[in-house]
Amino acid sequence: MRVISEKHDRKVRPAPSGPVTRAERSASVRPAANGHGVCLISVPNISCGACVARIERALIDCPGVVAARANLTLRQVRVTLTDANTDPSPGYEALAALGYTARPLDPSDTEPASAQQDGPDLLRCIAVAGFGAMNVMLLSVAVWSGAEATTRDTFHLISALIAVPVVAYAGQPFFRSALVVLRGGRLNMDVPIALAVLLALALSLSELLQGGDHVFFDAAVTLLFFLLTGRYLDQLMRDRARSAVTGLARLSPKGAMARGPDGSLEWIALHAVAKGMILHIDAGERVPVDVRILHGDTDLDRSLVTGEAMPVAASPGTELEAGTLNLTGGIEVEVLRPVAESFLAEMMRMLSAAETSRSTYVRIADRAARLYAPVVHLLAVATFAGWLLVTGDWQVSAFVAISVLIITCPCALGLAVPVAQVVAAGRLMRSGILMKDGSALERLAQIDRAVFDKTGTLTTGTPMVTSCFEGEAEQREASKALAMQSRHPAAQAIAAHLPEVACEVADAVEVPGFGVEGRVHGRRARLGRARWVAEIAANPQAATGPAFAFEGAPALSFDLSETLRPGAVDTISDMQSSGIPVTMLSGDDAARVAQVAETLGIAEAHHGMTPARKVGVLEDLRDRGHRALMVGDGLNDTAALAAAHVSMAPSTAADAGRTAADFVFLRDGLDAVATAQDVARATARVVRQNFGLAIAYNCIAIPLAVAGLVTPLIAALAMSASSILVIGNSLRLNGKRAAAPLQSVERGPVAIPA
Amino acid sequence: MTILTLLIPVTLVMGAVGLGAFFWSLHSGQYEDLSGDAERILFDEDDKPLAAYPPGHSGTTKEKTP
Amino acid sequence: MMSNLTRAERANAMVIAGTGAFIGLVMAAAGRGDPMGAHGWIVLAFCGALFFVVGSAYEDPEPTQDRTASYYDDPTKVGILIALFWAVVGMGMGVWVASQLAWPDLRFDAAWSSFGRIRPVHTSGVIFGFGGNALIATSFHIMQRTCRARMPDQVTPWFVLLGFNLFCIVASSGYLMGVTQSKEYAEPEWYADLWLVVVWVVYFVLYIRTLARRNEPHIYVANWYYLAFILVVAVLHIVNNLAVPASLTGAKSYSAFAGVQDAMTQWWYGHNAVAFFLTSGFLGMLYYFLPKRAERPIYSYRLSILSFWGITFFYIWAGSHHLHYTALPHWVQTLGMTFSVMLLVPSWASAGNALMTLNGAWHKVRDDATLRFMMVAAVFYGLSTFEGSFMAIRPVNGLSHYTDWTVGHVHAGAMGWVALISFGSIYALAPVLWRRETIYSWKAVEWHFWLALAGTVIYVFAMWNSGITQGLMWRTYTESGTLAYSFTDTLVAMHPYYVARTFGGLLFLIGACIGAWNVVMTIRRMPSETPERDYPTSSESREPALPAAE
Repeated sequence: MRVISEKHDRKVRPAPSGPVTRAERSASVRPAANGHGVCLISVPNISCGACVARIERALIDCPGVVAARANLTLRQVRVTLTDANTDPSPGYEALAALGYTARPLDPSDTEPASAQQDGPDLLRCIAVAGFGAMNVMLLSVAVWSGAEATTRDTFHLISALIAVPVVAYAGQPFFRSALVVLRGGRLNMDVPIALAVLLALALSLSELLQGGDHVFFDAAVTLLFFLLTGRYLDQLMRDRARSAVTGLARLSPKGAMARGPDGSLEWIALHAVAKGMILHIDAGERVPVDVRILHGDTDLDRSLVTGEAMPVAASPGTELEAGTLNLTGGIEVEVLRPVAESFLAEMMRMLSAAETSRSTYVRIADRAARLYAPVVHLLAVATFAGWLLVTGDWQVSAFVAISVLIITCPCALGLAVPVAQVVAAGRLMRSGILMKDGSALERLAQIDRAVFDKTGTLTTGTPMVTSCFEGEAEQREASKALAMQSRHPAAQAIAAHLPEVACEVADAVEVPGFGVEGRVHGRRARLGRARWVAEIAANPQAATGPAFAFEGAPALSFDLSETLRPGAVDTISDMQSSGIPVTMLSGDDAARVAQVAETLGIAEAHHGMTPARKVGVLEDLRDRGHRALMVGDGLNDTAALAAAHVSMAPSTAADAGRTAADFVFLRDGLDAVATAQDVARATARVVRQNFGLAIAYNCIAIPLAVAGLVTPLIAALAMSASSILVIGNSLRLNGKRAAAPLQSVERGPVAIPA
Repeated sequence: MTILTLLIPVTLVMGAVGLGAFFWSLHSGQYEDLSGDAERILFDEDDKPLAAYPPGHSGTTKEKTP
Repeated sequence: MMSNLTRAERANAMVIAGTGAFIGLVMAAAGRGDPMGAHGWIVLAFCGALFFVVGSAYEDPEPTQDRTASYYDDPTKVGILIALFWAVVGMGMGVWVASQLAWPDLRFDAAWSSFGRIRPVHTSGVIFGFGGNALIATSFHIMQRTCRARMPDQVTPWFVLLGFNLFCIVASSGYLMGVTQSKEYAEPEWYADLWLVVVWVVYFVLYIRTLARRNEPHIYVANWYYLAFILVVAVLHIVNNLAVPASLTGAKSYSAFAGVQDAMTQWWYGHNAVAFFLTSGFLGMLYYFLPKRAERPIYSYRLSILSFWGITFFYIWAGSHHLHYTALPHWVQTLGMTFSVMLLVPSWASAGNALMTLNGAWHKVRDDATLRFMMVAAVFYGLSTFEGSFMAIRPVNGLSHYTDWTVGHVHAGAMGWVALISFGSIYALAPVLWRRETIYSWKAVEWHFWLALAGTVIYVFAMWNSGITQGLMWRTYTESGTLAYSFTDTLVAMHPYYVARTFGGLLFLIGACIGAWNVVMTIRRMPSETPERDYPTSSESREPALPAAE
C-alpha cells in the first residue's frame, strides 16, 4: 500500500473528536484502478437500511466524493473520491454530523488476502459439489427405482463423468488438509473423509468398468456436499467475528506528526518513526512509541498501559510508553526507542511467547478423529481379511471393506461440531459477544478457574463523583462551567455529576497537569488539583481529590472513585458459587485492590502486578493442572490473555488485547462472561449428544457394512439421515431462550480515594 | 427412453449454466452485503435512475478489495 | 406515448411493424384456404395498425427531456392494462367453460364454441395473456428499479410486449379455428412457436442489457427469478415444440417425438412451465412487491437466494409424475415422484420467508387489502406446493389423476397464488406508475379481495370433493369384479360440484372486473401526486437526525 499523505501540505489542528487525526484519514485513501481514490471507513453504528440510505446520501453531497456505498453486514462505508489526493475529511465530518462514529479502516488491518479468499473458494466447492450431488443423485434415483441394463450402465457412466471432476475439484480442501497432517505423522477428521471419498470413487470406477451393480458415486459426492457445508459454516462464523472485531474502533495510532528541521509538521507512518525524532502529539491522541516529553504539560491516561484509571500529570522530562493517551495539552516529544523496541513491541513479544505455549490445545473433533480413524481403518482391514478368508474372492472382499469405510465416513462427526458451534456463535452474537473460533467455545466449557483484571474489566475505568461539597448554587454552577472546559476525565465526571446549569466563564485557561482557571462573575476561580486550587483559596487544604475555589474563598472538594462494571457483583458471586474460584490481578496499589476485592467478595487478589507477573500467575495455574479463564482489557493484560486457557476482553480493550482474547463482549455488562459460559456448556452438551448420535448410527451401520449388506441406496439414506439428525439436534441450541438482559444495573461506586 | 438422450444433456447444460451464473455472482461480489441489499429496494425517496456511480464503479466492474 | 420516442426509434418501429405486416401478407397468400391464411390476415391487421399508429405520429416533435433522468414506464403501463384485459377475457372464458360442464347446452351447437376449443382459450388466456403480460410488465418495472437504470432503448420493450401479445392473439384465435398441436399449454402451431422464440430471445437480451447498464452493483434476487423464468421457458419451449410442419403453407405439424417419448417431453415441459412460468417469475414479483408494500426487508435474504437455487435444481425433473401408471418406465415415474417430494423444501422456504417478512407488520395486512392479496398468495403457494408434492406420490396419484382433484390443485395454484400475487402487485404498482396519490377505491380492492378469496375457496373445495368422489367411484368394484358405477353415474354425481365451481369462478371473474375498473378509474379520475419537493430530495423532514436503535 502506498502512503499518499506526503503530498499533502496540511496545517496542524486538534482532532475534532477522538484519537483519529486528519492525517490518518488522508493516509487511508488508496488509489483505485481508474484514477479515483478509495477509502474504507468503519462505521460501527450503522444499524438499519435507513442508515445506509442516509449515509450514502450525505456522503455523495460532500466535495470530492464520487460515490459512496455502505455495507450493512460489515458496517463499513466505501467512499470513492475524485482522485487519490482528495482529502476525505468532509465525508468524516458529514458522518459525524449525522451522529455516526467513523474511523478509517486500514486494509492492512484486516487479515491477509489468502484468508479472505478461503470463503469464496469453499462456496465454489459447495456449488460444484451441490451441482454434482443433484445430478448424480438424479441418476441414482433412476437406478434405484429400477433402470436396468443399458440404461443403468449409461447412467453409471454419466454419473462417473460428473463425479470424477466434481470430487477432484470440490474434494480439495479435504485432500489438502489430510495430506498436511499425514505428512506431520498425525491424524485428523479429514484423513478418513479423504480416504472414504477416494476409495468410494475408485471402487465405483472399477465396478463401472466391470458392469457391476453397485456404484457409490452419489455417496461420494453427497458426502462432500454435506461436509463442505459444515466446513463453510465454520468458516462463516470466524469471518463474521473477524469483521466485527476489525470494525471496532482502533486505538493504537498508525503514524505520528513529525517536526522537521525547518519546524514544519509532516505525517509519517509508524514504521518510519526513528529514534531521536521530534514528534508533536495533540491532546486526545495516543502516543505511538516510547518517548520523553520535551515541551508542554499535560495529563495522561495510562490505563491501557498500567491499568491505572486515574490520569497522571506529566511535564518535560517524563518518559511515556507507547499506548498512553494524551489528555489535556499538546506536547513535543523525543522518540526514545524505535518502534520495534517500544513497550508495545515488548508486549507483542510476550504475547507470541504465550500463544505458542497455548497452541497445544487439540479440538474435540480432532481428538475424536485420533480415536476414530485408526478404529475404522483397522475395522476395514479386518473386514477385508475376514471376507478374503471366508470367500477367497478378493474383489468381493475389497468391495465390502470399502463399503465399511464409506458407511463409517464421519459425515455426522464432521457436522456435529461446526453446526453446533455456528448456532452457538449466532446466539452469542445476539447477546453482544463475538467469538474468534469454535475451539474457544470448547475451551470455555472446561474452565475451573477465573482470573479478572481490575481496572477496565471489573470496574469501568472511568471515575465517578461519589461525594460533592455542600456549597452554594453559585459555586456549583461555577464548578460545572469550569469542568466543561476540559476533557480531563475527572472534569468530565464532575460536569456530568452536577445537575446545575453552567454559568458564563471568561478567560478560561486549562493548565495541563493542574486544572482549569477562569473568571466567573468577575471573580477568579479554579477547578483542579487540591494543592493548585489551594494557592488562591483562603484555607490551605490537603485534600487528595479535585477541588474548587473562588479566589480568597474556602476551597471545596470532590471525592472521585471508580465504578464497577454492571453485573460485576452477580457474575463474581455466581462463578464462585458454581465452584470456580475467582482471582483478581491488578497493577494498582494495595488499598484500592483490597477495596474492590472486598466489595466483590474476591478472596484472592494480587496488587502491583506487572504484565510478566500476570503471565506468571496464569502459567502457574496451568502447571498445577487448572484451566483458567482470563478476563482483561489493558495492554498489560495482553500476554496474560494469550497465556490463559481461554480469554475474554471487553470491546473497549486495547487492540492487542482484543486480538489476543478469544471472546470480545460489546455491551457494558460483565454478565456477558456468565452468558458465554452458559452457551459454551450448552454447546459442549449438544456436541456430546451429536457424537452420541453419530456413534449410535455407526453401531447400527457397521455390522450391516461388515456383513456386506450395504447397498448404495442404504449408504446414501443412512448418511443423509444421520447428518440431518445432527443438524436438527444442533439447532436446538437456538431454541433455548437467550439469557435475559441485565435487569438491575448496580453501578454502585466503590469508595476508593482517587 | 431414447428421449432421455436429449433431455439429460439439456438438463445438464442448464445446470451448468446455473453453476456458471452462481460462480459469476460470487466473483462479482453479489453476496457481500446481503442484509444491506435486502434493504436497498425499500429506498424510494426518488423514483429515478441513479447516475452517481462513475464508470468502473458500477457493479459490472467490481474492484477486488485487498 | 409516441412523444417519448425519438424519430429514429419511430422509424425503427415502423420498419419492424412493416416487416411484420409483410410477413402477415405472405402468410395470408400462402395459407389460402387454411387457418394459416386467416392468421396471416390477423398478423397483417395487427402490424398494419401499429404501422399506422406510429406513422401518424412520425412528424410529432421529438422528446426534449433528458431520458436518463427517468425510468421508461410506458410499456409497463400498457402491459398492466393488457394483462387486466386478458384477465377479464381469460377468466370470462373460464366461467363459460365451467358452465358448459354443468350445462352442456351452453355450447350453442357451434364448432368454435365446443369445450375442446374454448378451454385452451381459457388456459392460454389466463396463463399467457394475463400471467405473461403481468410478468413482462412487472419485470420491466422491477429490473429498472432494482438496477437503478433505464432500459437501454425504447423500441425493444414494445417489441417484446406487443410481439408477445401478437402470439397470444394468434394462439387463441387458432384454438377457435381448431388449430392445435394437442400439447397442453403448448397448443399453438409451428409458426406461432417460431415467433415466440424470436420474441423471447429479444426479451432475454433486453433483460441482460438492462442488467449490464445497472448503477446498483447488487442484482436483487427478484431479477434472478425473472431471468430463470425467461431463460428456462425459452429452452423448454424450443425442445417441446420441435416439430415438422406438414406443409409450409398450412398450420398442421407433426411432433419430432412419438408415443411415450413425446409424452415425456410434453410433461418435462408442462411441469417446468409450472415451475418457471407460474412459479419462478411470480416469486420474483413476490420478492419485490411484498417487501416493498410491507416496507420491511425480506425476512431472510440469504434464504431467498438459497431457495432460488433449490427451485432451479429440483424442479427440472419433477415432470414425469404427470405420467404415473403409464407406458413410461417405472423408474422414470419414481424419479419424478422423488424430486417432486423434495421440491417441497425450497417451496416452503419461499412461502415461509414471505410470511415471516410480514411478521411484525400484521396490522398492515389487516388494514391493507393489497398486502393481504400478497399474504394470501404466499399461503396458497405453500398449500398448493404441499398438495402438489403429495399428489406426485404414486399411490395418491392413482386416486387423484384424471379426476377433478387435479383441476382443483391447479386452480389453487393459479387462482390462489398466481392471480392473487399478480393483482396485489398491480394494485401496488398502479399508483406508482401513473403517479397517483393512491388507488381509486380502496373499498373496491377490499371487494375484489374477498370475492377472489371466496371464489378460490369455493372452487377448490368443490373440486376436491368432486375429484375424490370421482376417483373413488371409478375404482369401486362390485362383488363380481365389475365396475360399480358407469361413467354417466359419476357425471351425475359431479353435477352439483360443477355448478359450485362455476359459481366460484364467477365470483373470481367479478373480482377481476372490479379490479380492472378500479385501475382504469385510478388512471382517469385520481389527482396526480404532487411531488412534495424537488428532486433530489433531502431527507431531513422525514427522518430523525440521529440513527435510531443504537
